[in-house]
Amino acid sequence: MISFMNRRSFLAGGAVFAASPLLPPFVSAALAERKQAVVRVDVDIANLDPGNRIGTVDGNVILSVCQTLARFDAGKLTWSNDAAKEIKQISETEYTFELNPGQMFTDGYGEMTAEDVKFSFDRFINSDAKGKKLAYAEDLGALDKVEVTGKYTGRLLLKHPSPALWLIGLCDASGAILSRKATEALGDKIATQIIGSGPYRLAEWRPKEQFVLEINPDYKGAAKAHFPRILAKFIAEPKTALLSFQGKELDFTAVDPSSAGEARKVEQAKVIEIEGIDYTWISLNVEKGALADPRVRQAIRLGIDIDMIIAGAYGAAVSRAKTLLAPGLIGAWPEAPLYNRDLEKAKALLAEAGQTGLSVSFTCLNEAVPMATAQIVQANLAEIGVTVTINAMDSGAYWAMGSDDKSKDLELTLIQYLSKFDPSFQTQWFLSAQVGLWNWQRWKSADFDRLHAEGLATTDTVKRAQIYIDMQKLLDESASCVWITHGRNFFIHADWLKPCLLPNAMNWQYEYFGEA
Amino acid sequence: MAFLLRRAQAALFTIACVMLMLFMLVRSVPGDMASIMLGPRATPELRARIVAEMGLDQNIFVQLWLFLTRVVRGDFGEDIISRRPIIDIVAEVLPNTLILAGTALFLSLVFGILLGLIAAKSRGSWADSLLGLLSVAFVSTPSLVVSIVLLLLFSRALHWFPVAGVGDSGDMLDQLAHLVLPATALALGWIGYIARLVRAALLETLTEHHIRTLRAYGVPEWRIAGIYALRLALVPLVSILGIGLGDLIGSAVFAELIFARPGIGSLIFNSIAVRNYPVVQAAVLIIILIYILANLAVDLINSRLDPRIARAMREGRQA
Repeated sequence: MISFMNRRSFLAGGAVFAASPLLPPFVSAALAERKQAVVRVDVDIANLDPGNRIGTVDGNVILSVCQTLARFDAGKLTWSNDAAKEIKQISETEYTFELNPGQMFTDGYGEMTAEDVKFSFDRFINSDAKGKKLAYAEDLGALDKVEVTGKYTGRLLLKHPSPALWLIGLCDASGAILSRKATEALGDKIATQIIGSGPYRLAEWRPKEQFVLEINPDYKGAAKAHFPRILAKFIAEPKTALLSFQGKELDFTAVDPSSAGEARKVEQAKVIEIEGIDYTWISLNVEKGALADPRVRQAIRLGIDIDMIIAGAYGAAVSRAKTLLAPGLIGAWPEAPLYNRDLEKAKALLAEAGQTGLSVSFTCLNEAVPMATAQIVQANLAEIGVTVTINAMDSGAYWAMGSDDKSKDLELTLIQYLSKFDPSFQTQWFLSAQVGLWNWQRWKSADFDRLHAEGLATTDTVKRAQIYIDMQKLLDESASCVWITHGRNFFIHADWLKPCLLPNAMNWQYEYFGEA
Repeated sequence: MAFLLRRAQAALFTIACVMLMLFMLVRSVPGDMASIMLGPRATPELRARIVAEMGLDQNIFVQLWLFLTRVVRGDFGEDIISRRPIIDIVAEVLPNTLILAGTALFLSLVFGILLGLIAAKSRGSWADSLLGLLSVAFVSTPSLVVSIVLLLLFSRALHWFPVAGVGDSGDMLDQLAHLVLPATALALGWIGYIARLVRAALLETLTEHHIRTLRAYGVPEWRIAGIYALRLALVPLVSILGIGLGDLIGSAVFAELIFARPGIGSLIFNSIAVRNYPVVQAAVLIIILIYILANLAVDLINSRLDPRIARAMREGRQA
């Protein structure tokens, strides 16, 4: 027998073996096979009921655990059949579908049938078992009813043509197909114990700490997961998350724009940037005092230096927005006018409006970027003779402005709303009916309302895009919004990992996470 | 027994007062959970429904009565968001905070007493001055700042300790590694405070007659300071331990947020941020109970350390 181990190598090997439990976790992880990806979530799971979910973390878990009739392709806004074997459009208001047979719900809840599809969507159309309307009911608002025509077949009947239904409803978490049997058995526990038939199953959830997605071996769809396990750690603080990534405790995390430079210096890691589709703007209340005069609003729009805000408040990490809809969305308006700062013109407009010594309040969240923005606006407008009083609020008080007509007292307000991929989701908050709720400009336009209704029902993409451009032109003429940015999202990931996100950067497709 | 009954009455009164204040504060703070969590998706109907489900649409005294009567039955209600029993939510994170605060208290006592003893024995020397300086520095530096410095130094620069979380369940070493920095950050201020307190108490005790008698009998100096004098010097220290535990649990919120540790402090913080008042009420009540129990334990320990206190407790007067 050939001796391959001498005393020295035996001792060295023994020492390594003995010390292995003491090695830091990152060393052990590096030595192990890539059986999991460790990601950071900034909020914990809150509610996994597709119709009552709270945020994108919930939605991302729902979409990895459940199947939808059609699933978004990896990193794209196109979709392919998932639970459905076939989907046919019969007319503008009718679709038929046929499910793949043998799609099993986990935990022994049986095979998915068309009854489960009907049950899942009926919850949105009607209400849940207790008669309560779901928070996300409007996602499937165009759906009139679902008819079951066979064990695996059914019809979706719409109230009116709805080009957005698939994009913001059926392919998103609201379109998740639940097991009727499981949902009825679980009752309220569905909020934390979701049962699906998707690429993953929720194997563990330690509240405020972490959750684990484990591959579902019975998944029959095309989006087979690469990693047997996704471990998601809850870390609220972005700085702590970056430190944790540097300590190799994480493989993927979002990074604050202000920390992007630091993130780029991390070795064996890559930073990715994704342009946002959300929108941040300064809202001007058209009903309030001097702001009722369009010339005053135009003056304020010309008095604010957006480039300075981008540089000063955002550290030049985002690009400037010109209008409501972000580039790439249906109805994006590349020719939208860019209002560069023009002090002379702004002063002339104020003089024309007979305004001298104007004072306005500027309401914003009491966070770093909004506060910096407020201070820049304050300095900018002082140069045209407008005194700005900053009113910084905590998130509770701030969002309370969306109820009981409290927005009537606002003047200038810094707002950021999240977006969806269909423009109708964004334009809905500027409708006349939203005055007193979420239309803090309090600007009303019958033409805008009419176009919104038309946009919802128009299926021709070119015509539809023009409708949303026309709506943005109306908004632009109103001078009730000073657009700042659509945001930009930064992520850092281990160089061996290939994360997968939809273009809004909020929807993480865990099932498509892979190795580089 | 009479003492315990009196304390129980006082405890109930304290709980009722604190909860009443909390309920009043809840009413005075603007904002509702639906709007914060769902933003523009929060319709007026949804907001009204959530307010009703949380019981916030009722008279404040009715709310308080319902809350306390339910608590007596061990029912803290159900979380509106996750639909889980609130007691489960609090119970999941409470051990983490108790372990963190308990470890911090242990570190404070060990190092605080040790440093106080050294400072008292070397009174007037450079070591006494140095320890005095350090103690003041520890006391005056907020645990928030200490947490960040420790994180940057020992986790980021030296990679000695992990950054975030509580460690793998079932892996004691990993959990200990995750505990070191947050516990140290919490303990540091109290180490300084206890060191100053012990030093002052020891210096006073060491001049008393019975200590002189011990010296006259030839008892070794280390034994006099470390046992006989220290025992008496610990009485004021034990008195502040109840407050100390309450303070540590309160301060834990910073450590929990910075080190991403689940705990009752961060639970309250996050619940207030989203106006999830039923969870806030339950968590605050648990903290009050801990605080009351800790102070009761302190009184009982003090009575063992000092017979005069025991006599006062028996006679029903303040010691």
